[in-house]
Amino acid sequence: MRYNGVGTLVRVLIVEDEPTLSRQLSHALGGAGYATDAAADGDRADFLVRTESYDAIVLDLGLPHVDGLTLLAAWRSAGIATPILVLTARSSWHEKVQGIDGGADDYMAKPFRIEEVLARLRALIRRASGHTQALLIAGPVALDPRNGRVTLQDEAVKLTSHEFRVLAYLMHHQDRVVSGGELVEHIYAQDSDRESNTVEVFIGRLRRKLGASFIRTVRGMGYQISP
Amino acid sequence: MTSLLSLRARLLIGAVLWTVGLLVLSSVALTRVMTVHPRAPIRVHRALEGYLPVVVACACMVIGFLQVRRGLSAVDALRRNLGALHTGEARRLEGAYPSEVQPLVDDLNTLLEQRDRAVERAIAKAGDLAHGLKTPLAVIAHEADRAAAAGAGEVAESVHQQVDRMRRQVDYHLAHARAASGRAAGQQCAVRESVEGLVRALTRLHADRQLTIDVSVDRALLVQGRREDIDEMLGNILDNACRFARSRVAVAAASFDNVAVVTIDDDGPGLDPALRAAVLQRGVRADESGPGSGLGLAIVRNLVELYGATIALSASPLGGLRVQLRLST
Repeated sequence: MRYNGVGTLVRVLIVEDEPTLSRQLSHALGGAGYATDAAADGDRADFLVRTESYDAIVLDLGLPHVDGLTLLAAWRSAGIATPILVLTARSSWHEKVQGIDGGADDYMAKPFRIEEVLARLRALIRRASGHTQALLIAGPVALDPRNGRVTLQDEAVKLTSHEFRVLAYLMHHQDRVVSGGELVEHIYAQDSDRESNTVEVFIGRLRRKLGASFIRTVRGMGYQISP
Repeated sequence: MTSLLSLRARLLIGAVLWTVGLLVLSSVALTRVMTVHPRAPIRVHRALEGYLPVVVACACMVIGFLQVRRGLSAVDALRRNLGALHTGEARRLEGAYPSEVQPLVDDLNTLLEQRDRAVERAIAKAGDLAHGLKTPLAVIAHEADRAAAAGAGEVAESVHQQVDRMRRQVDYHLAHARAASGRAAGQQCAVRESVEGLVRALTRLHADRQLTIDVSVDRALLVQGRREDIDEMLGNILDNACRFARSRVAVAAASFDNVAVVTIDDDGPGLDPALRAAVLQRGVRADESGPGSGLGLAIVRNLVELYGATIALSASPLGGLRVQLRLST
């Protein structure tokens, strides 16, 4: 799992009109711990970027309806500073210069090696956040956002990705009560099904793994890590 | 009906024959007048006394000659403009022509516009083809990664190699098609602008490395060629320099005798003198039999040839490789 500077899951928007490639990218980025949303055309991408908050955008330039370069320029002039990795078939140097001048933070030509996309995305997000996330500690539990390791009294604990997301969010907001809705909002990628009762399931599993009293339920309000 | 006689010769023959006809007719008329009015010759003689008729006759001849010359100059202008078209200084036949020539010029211009549009369409289609292939190639490359994860590492590596080869082929031929379309003729490109754009891009693309790229190019330096092609040549060379440099890359340019020399230095490990010729020699054809240098220099070399430019590799005073590109100004 990857977390951004404020301790929430790193969300990446994939703007790619070719469905297979879009699926592959989502899968690869998801596997690397990012929460991904996908947009297949410029209008959808524009809507998502203006309504959601992303930590990075992977942008194809040859899109239907609105061209990627137009989107890029529009976002930058609207003050949207999200790091953008352009991933495009346009590979001439003139096009690369246009892309970078248009506001892209990085530019990769298709076909690409997925490891390189991941490496560049990582560097992009790291540069944008400007600092590395420190270890989160709550009582006997420690969580390292950089490598996704969780320990209970220095013993490694195996968590599923959803359990990890719930725990990380709660640990980052130890000082207050977090509602079930807020948790759902931050642990799921944009278009997954949002069932708040599944949060209860994850909380239950976390209690089994980390101790029943580690997370307390505040009736009618939500959850909080026991002080 | 074909004839090898020039327009000039025909006009001359026409004028001479016309004059002979006029002389014969006027002597016939004079003879007839003389038989009817015996005193007429004296009156004619009186009328032709003095220098005035000679002056008038000379003036008529000179004006006639100038008229013909002026008429013919349109043909010379047409030839000059066609020459400019050929060298690329002009995109169409400019100027006004006599009414006999103008329809021809208009037709030629229409034809030129049609050809330009056809070339533009063909280039756009070549671009579409190239871009259309890249996304499926990206999908295939990713499938290869999955195959590798499933234990078929050798297959995956082979697929990756082929994908890479296809990418290079597509890039090479697209760059060639764009540069060889003849649209480059007559265009000029400011080297400094091209270099500055590339440096902005390369600084971003190599953001994880602390590279210093010095640019010392005169703003007024113009070379012949399309910006896209100049960007492609300098971009590939500069990218190599950035990839191999330890911390410094320098771009400088000087011009003399209609030639601009752009020099790109880096402080990297340099290139073995024995390999210098090889990386330039290795075109796409050679790449087909081996993994290729992967330096993108095949594209550079191809564009250099199309532009009638030259490229030379040597040792850089910075310690790495020096690439010198000579372009026409």
